[in-house]
Amino acid sequence: MNEAINTLTRGFIKENPVTKMLLGLCPVLAVTTTAVNGLGMGLATTFVLIGSNVVISMTSKMIPDTVRIPSFVLIIATFVTIVDMLIKAFSPELNQSLGIFIPLIVVNCMILGRAEAFASRSGVWYSLLDGIGMGIGFTLALLALASIREVLGSGTIFNMPLIGEDGTPLLVFALPPGAFAGLGAIIALMNALEKKRGVN
Amino acid sequence: MRPIIILTIVGLISASLLALVDDITRDPIAKAKELMERRAIEEVFPFPLDSLRTVTEGETSFFEACDNEGRLKGIAVKTSTEKGYSGKIEIILAVQPDHTIIDYKVIYTNETPGLGDKISKPKFREQFKGKSLEGPIWKVNKDGGFVDELTAATISSRAITDAVHRGLEHINQQYPNTAEQ
Repeated sequence: MNEAINTLTRGFIKENPVTKMLLGLCPVLAVTTTAVNGLGMGLATTFVLIGSNVVISMTSKMIPDTVRIPSFVLIIATFVTIVDMLIKAFSPELNQSLGIFIPLIVVNCMILGRAEAFASRSGVWYSLLDGIGMGIGFTLALLALASIREVLGSGTIFNMPLIGEDGTPLLVFALPPGAFAGLGAIIALMNALEKKRGVN
Repeated sequence: MRPIIILTIVGLISASLLALVDDITRDPIAKAKELMERRAIEEVFPFPLDSLRTVTEGETSFFEACDNEGRLKGIAVKTSTEKGYSGKIEIILAVQPDHTIIDYKVIYTNETPGLGDKISKPKFREQFKGKSLEGPIWKVNKDGGFVDELTAATISSRAITDAVHRGLEHINQQYPNTAEQ
């Protein structure tokens, strides 16, 4: 049971894919202009991660090593395409703002990383927990960065205005440099907290 | 088993799964797209829509808004430009029956958040109101036209000017006579 809880929760902070492993940073930097975008991207990626982890852990014994990576990519791409079609059908607004970044989940190295490093060597149950945990960790990181950038860069949060129409937000946070700076600050904060806890 | 067979099986399963999902989502996707357009058209006209007729001419769609007696109250057209800072910008442009602009609504854009995407703000849209094809020079200030470009977003401002101008030309071609009625 302890093992299961550990598998589920280590993705939140201790082995967070974004702030600890620095995996899949392209969508992290690109779509986190608003909190809604960050949340949408995080959930879409989580869905793909859970699906691919489960399927890959089920099929890994049947798939010979020589075609392991192509099969993984195929399985991941299938889930990504399903998500893409579902978002287009049921949340066209989200589709408009996330655009090309949904299909690009295919090349998110966090997903292939989890498939290679965990799902292909573990049981279905643990792979499911790993997918959920890592997905939540990824979503949390995106949401944190996106909230910071939306508040500072656009003066809104979840599209609700925080400053008046005439206020000028710190535009740089809505632009790519703000993404790098914000992510850097979050990683530094996480490292500082960990160090402090280690000393005590 | 030979790897090639395994890979073929994986591919086949993926393909059939995708075909299934595509079958389920095709109609909702088309409907969602239509709904988004419809909502944009409703927002761009300042009066409630009693009836809306869609006329498709070649690749351009026109939307005629009429009142209860069938009199034309406004025309909208979907128009786009490729000259945006990040590619395509699509707008719905609405005009009075005499071809003066009511308003426009951006329905697709990738312009920079906080800079170029201000083309959707009322403050910027305001200056197009009441303008028509004849008379003003359809360029931004910098190029000698009437459009007051957004600070640090001249390219986006030029693009939207281009899109609106094209929309007006489309409407003029399609409805050459309504202006005189």
